Amino acid sequence: MSKTIVINGVEHPIDVDENMPLLWFLRDRLEFTGTKFGCGSGLCGACTVHVEGQATRSCIIPVSALAGKSITTIEGLSENGDHPLQKAWLENNVPQCGYCQAGQIMNAASFLATNDKPSDADIDNAMQGNICRCGTYQRIKKAIKSVAYDLAKEV
Amino acid sequence: MNEHVLHAMNQWKQRQQQDKTSVDTKINTSMSRRGFLKTVSLASGGLALGFTIPACSTTETAKIASADVKFNPSGFIHLSENGDLLLYCGRCEMGQGISTALPAAVADEMEADWSRVTIKQADGNEELYGPQNTGGSASIRKMYQPMREAGAAAKEMLIIAGAKVFKTSVDNCYAENHFVINKNNQEKLSFGELASLAANSAIPESPTLKTKDQFKYIGKALDRHDQGLVVEGKRTYGVDTKLPGMKYAAISHCPVLGGTLKSLDKAAVLKMKGVIDVVEIAPIKHPFSSIGGVAVVADNSWTAQRALQQLNIEWDLGPNTVYNTKEYKQQLVKNVEKPAELITERGNLDKAFNDSAAKVSATYTGGHLCHAPMEPNASVVWVQKDSCEVWASTQSPADIQTVLAQYLKREAKDITVHVMMAGGAFGRKFKCDYVHEAAVISEQINAPVQLIWSREEDMRTGFYHSINAQHIEASLDAQGNVTGWLHRAAFPSINSLFQEGLDRAPKGAIGDIDNHPFAINNFRSESGEAPAHTRIGWYRAVYAIFYGFAFGTFADELAYKAGKDPVKFLNDVYDNNQNPEQADQVKRSKAVLALAAKHSGIGKELPKGEGIGIAVHYSFNSYVAMAVHVKVDGDNIKVLNVDCAIDCGQILNTDGATAQMEGAVVMGMSLSLYTEISFTDGAVVNSNFHDYPVMRISDMPNVRVHIVDSDEKPTGLGEPGVAPFAPALSNAIFAASGTRYRDLPIKPLSV
Repeated sequence: MSKTIVINGVEHPIDVDENMPLLWFLRDRLEFTGTKFGCGSGLCGACTVHVEGQATRSCIIPVSALAGKSITTIEGLSENGDHPLQKAWLENNVPQCGYCQAGQIMNAASFLATNDKPSDADIDNAMQGNICRCGTYQRIKKAIKSVAYDLAKEV
Repeated sequence: MNEHVLHAMNQWKQRQQQDKTSVDTKINTSMSRRGFLKTVSLASGGLALGFTIPACSTTETAKIASADVKFNPSGFIHLSENGDLLLYCGRCEMGQGISTALPAAVADEMEADWSRVTIKQADGNEELYGPQNTGGSASIRKMYQPMREAGAAAKEMLIIAGAKVFKTSVDNCYAENHFVINKNNQEKLSFGELASLAANSAIPESPTLKTKDQFKYIGKALDRHDQGLVVEGKRTYGVDTKLPGMKYAAISHCPVLGGTLKSLDKAAVLKMKGVIDVVEIAPIKHPFSSIGGVAVVADNSWTAQRALQQLNIEWDLGPNTVYNTKEYKQQLVKNVEKPAELITERGNLDKAFNDSAAKVSATYTGGHLCHAPMEPNASVVWVQKDSCEVWASTQSPADIQTVLAQYLKREAKDITVHVMMAGGAFGRKFKCDYVHEAAVISEQINAPVQLIWSREEDMRTGFYHSINAQHIEASLDAQGNVTGWLHRAAFPSINSLFQEGLDRAPKGAIGDIDNHPFAINNFRSESGEAPAHTRIGWYRAVYAIFYGFAFGTFADELAYKAGKDPVKFLNDVYDNNQNPEQADQVKRSKAVLALAAKHSGIGKELPKGEGIGIAVHYSFNSYVAMAVHVKVDGDNIKVLNVDCAIDCGQILNTDGATAQMEGAVVMGMSLSLYTEISFTDGAVVNSNFHDYPVMRISDMPNVRVHIVDSDEKPTGLGEPGVAPFAPALSNAIFAASGTRYRDLPIKPLSV
């Protein structure tokens, strides 16, 4: 019985070399290209996905270590692209080239799930591992804050 | 990219015409409106006979234009019967927002409803789309007018069609928001309904353009057309193309420029599961092409990367192993602190120096930079017997066509280049060595190939921003006016790509010193020895990075010496510019200076350890002033606020312009504080983001952008924001702490 992994709610057999990082299993085996390759060393955050809801750098974690786990990628973050962060990203016109933004959004989503009233310093700490070379940080902060503000109102 | 680089490229091209062994490059710097519209005559010629509309003659457009497209008056405009409007962006998009700004200019003049517009990136086809090689902040400067004319012509043709249906004169009709309206009775016909009929009209020779007060999209804040795709992970980049039967490649290059492959033992790697082939790539003789390398092809990228690491490759490193940037920078300093090769002389500098009340001198330096876009170099190429198709993040589709045509011995038009969204580029993806290499591999293994460079290869096989040194000496009179200016620069120039053995930056590369709007009467520029030991390329803002740093910081040093407030000092310098040809530059430089100064509050009382510094820089025909507010506590430098004032003529998308300035601050801050590429024994030492520490979110200051409402011709903004940041920062640190930084980056890592 081969090992399996659940990606965005769908079970897939792990039918590759067990050392293959999740990133390449997603990109080259399943052809889910929303998760990006940036550095290959867990330094830039472009490849961030959720493993059981937890932001994880998919470029450095072997797929076999995730057998039986549930993975969410940017393609599965919401049904219709309507996660509050996705909406906030649009309202604040965050993306420039956009390449890092899937990782930014996935990282922010995981972080906000555990901290719905983040301070500026909390946001900085949580998002420090995600690089944007176009320089959209100001808008990323603003978008995250706007979602946190809305979440706080709902309580 | 600067004009003199274009010139150097063209000269190089001319030389190559005598040398058929090397690969040509096509540089297209101008275009005519007729060029865009020439496909129209074909289309309307066909229409005169019948009522069908061939979209245009090229196979590419025939393919993209669906059967529904009824009105295709230029390569850019495709209007369907249902009113859907497809607009093509001919310039390459890499995040600078051009694929929103230019189509919006078309839509505005056409009176199209923006919500009915879809935008696609055009394939490489300069006949249809005009110059596509995207650099030098030139897209808006070159394309604003042709885009507006294309839109206005389409609108007039739709109005003519509407008037025919209404059985009234054209003067009785106008277009508004995707409709043509009969003034007499307010009857309306939609653009879609009129599409077929409009295609029968002749193309107006000189369509009437809107006046500024009539703009609906130009000069407004528009959302980026593709951001919905981005946030869902559906925007596809160069790295994302998937084809049936596609193979994956990873590549390794000689770490030292000019080195050659000595030996390669591929036996073990070829036995690895999933490995398909190991391909040796010989250097391609072209300034932007491959220096040669070894690639592993596998059935996925990870296997290719892993196999590459296990490959036994030995290189003959060649003569550039002498290159050590630490010593080289020290040598550049020596070369600018003694007389160098005269470039330009004005007035009588010796007399000005002899008569001066005070003299100031300083030397400024900076290191190599690599572009490090978040998407490393990546492309897919499929070479077949009768076709070659490319999917690439690129800034220069035409160069890909030219180089591959020559390499494969085919016609440039037979190389199809699909321009993919670039995940950042910053000048790197103008040089498409990574595409040429994929073509070599594809030809060898007879399959479509995706080549992705690792981050390490991207960082170590770059086209680097020049390491540099500048020495300035200036004299002041008793009133604190600048009377003389000696400016020596030494840096390996981009020209070294085109001219082997070049030992210093040529006159063209020094031009921005000679033509700086300070225009001191008694002036001398000199170029110090600086041979290149690596490939030098244009990096966002190019030489303006170090020119801006030296001019902007030295002006502050002079102001301090003269006992003047920096803003007053700068205004005095501009006011003393007696060159009538620079009157406009003076006026506009002063205006952005005033705007940044006002919003920053420079001059106000600040808490201890805080300071505001200011700098102005004119580059790529745009004017930017920045005021940086810092807090300094020992070695800790915290940038609090940045006020950017910009004058880029008529602005297109205010939100896009604001984003460009925010990004320029981040890039300026990375290179001012942290990033530097170092070479030891000819090889780059840095390898990834741990030792090339680009700026992260916790350093993000509050950036405020102030736009001059201008009616001048629009100019670009991709690059001009980068230059003024470093000097404004350095001046702010001085104001806060009394410490003057003259070497970039200010806080280098020791790697």
